[in-house]
Amino acid sequence: MSVGYVTVQWNRHKRVYDVCIAIGISLYLVVFIVVGKLLYTGRNAISDPILGMRALATCAFLLLHIILCIGPLARLDRRFLPLLYNRRHLGVATFLIALAHAALAIGFYHGFGSVNPLVSLLSSNTNFASLSAFPYQILGASALLIMFLMAATSHDFWLRNLGAPAWKRLHMLVYVAYALLIMHVALGILQTQRSPWLAALVGAGVVTVAALHIVAGARECRHDERGWQRAPAGGGCWVDVGAVDEIADQCGATVTIGGRERIALFRHNGRVSAATNVCAHQGGPLGEGRIIDGCITCPWHGWQYRPADGRSPPPFTEKINTYRVRIVGRRVQVDPTALPPGTAVEPARVEEA
Amino acid sequence: MVVAILLTIGLYAAIGAAFGILFAWRGVDRIDPAAHGASWTFRLLILPGVIALWPLLMMRWRGAARTRDSS
Repeated sequence: MSVGYVTVQWNRHKRVYDVCIAIGISLYLVVFIVVGKLLYTGRNAISDPILGMRALATCAFLLLHIILCIGPLARLDRRFLPLLYNRRHLGVATFLIALAHAALAIGFYHGFGSVNPLVSLLSSNTNFASLSAFPYQILGASALLIMFLMAATSHDFWLRNLGAPAWKRLHMLVYVAYALLIMHVALGILQTQRSPWLAALVGAGVVTVAALHIVAGARECRHDERGWQRAPAGGGCWVDVGAVDEIADQCGATVTIGGRERIALFRHNGRVSAATNVCAHQGGPLGEGRIIDGCITCPWHGWQYRPADGRSPPPFTEKINTYRVRIVGRRVQVDPTALPPGTAVEPARVEEA
Repeated sequence: MVVAILLTIGLYAAIGAAFGILFAWRGVDRIDPAAHGASWTFRLLILPGVIALWPLLMMRWRGAARTRDSS
């Protein structure tokens, strides 16, 4: 959170996460190179630089798939939330591996002539009309540029100074980078190595990423459609959003009213509070979080807010919108007019059944 | 054509690097109070982003300086 910037906000969980990333990447690279050496011998032997290049490329490509799958998986099953927690470090690691692949490839294929390697990279192949000889390197370089922008702006300093909407839009470019990389692979290695299993693997990756996004998106749409049916009863401002018993103690629930912004409800110590569902940090879904240490805790990165006023506990200064809430019988009713961020609202008391 | 594009990118990055050093040293504290007293490793970490987005940060820094002068 935001008292003062530190270089890397490590805690025990993030250190474990990063150690797992480092071990996983190292193991992958070692296994890829050893298996490559053992499988391709004699006339079929692959030179060390090319093997290294392919190890780095496949590692970065695989990591990008994992990164893209974490989001929808976490929406579909809460058990994947820990993977989401430190996804930024995974993204930076992916960029560094992709950069190493690019440096090795440029050095190996363009570094030994009299022409500047970058000039050679961009000018040696101009067959833009050819499918089999397309200059696919430019696609990879464009994807790398996007990944650089994302890695370079991954610190919270950028989130605050670009503003959450602009920062989010910038980081949504990951899908453009992914599309460019798919074309980089399809017009590059899949043209030179006409291996059906390689094409099948790439296809399976694309289908997995697309299917997970479609399934998670459809679930969100169904949730929002239920929200369209909710409207103020009897001309007043209060909207019935469900039974209080549907909210587990110390947990959150998300409701949408009339297709507007989603509202997060929290049940804590015999009371119910309502706040915006959008975390002030990266727009995480607060309603999918829990009450920890008496605070609403975002499931994405653990940012916290007091349920009674939507303010982060001191010394932090973040604030989110709150909503008026009341309980009639065993039904929860919410006034859908958002109160200014940090407005104190008396939580509704739950009478024991 | 390719050489001209690469030279333009190089020039943009060189200006960004010069601005970035100045910004990491003095400017970041002016535009963001949370950066007061931040470590040099933090300043180094944001440097690649500053080099990439220096026109935006230059405007922010100028805006912060104007606000301070008028208050």
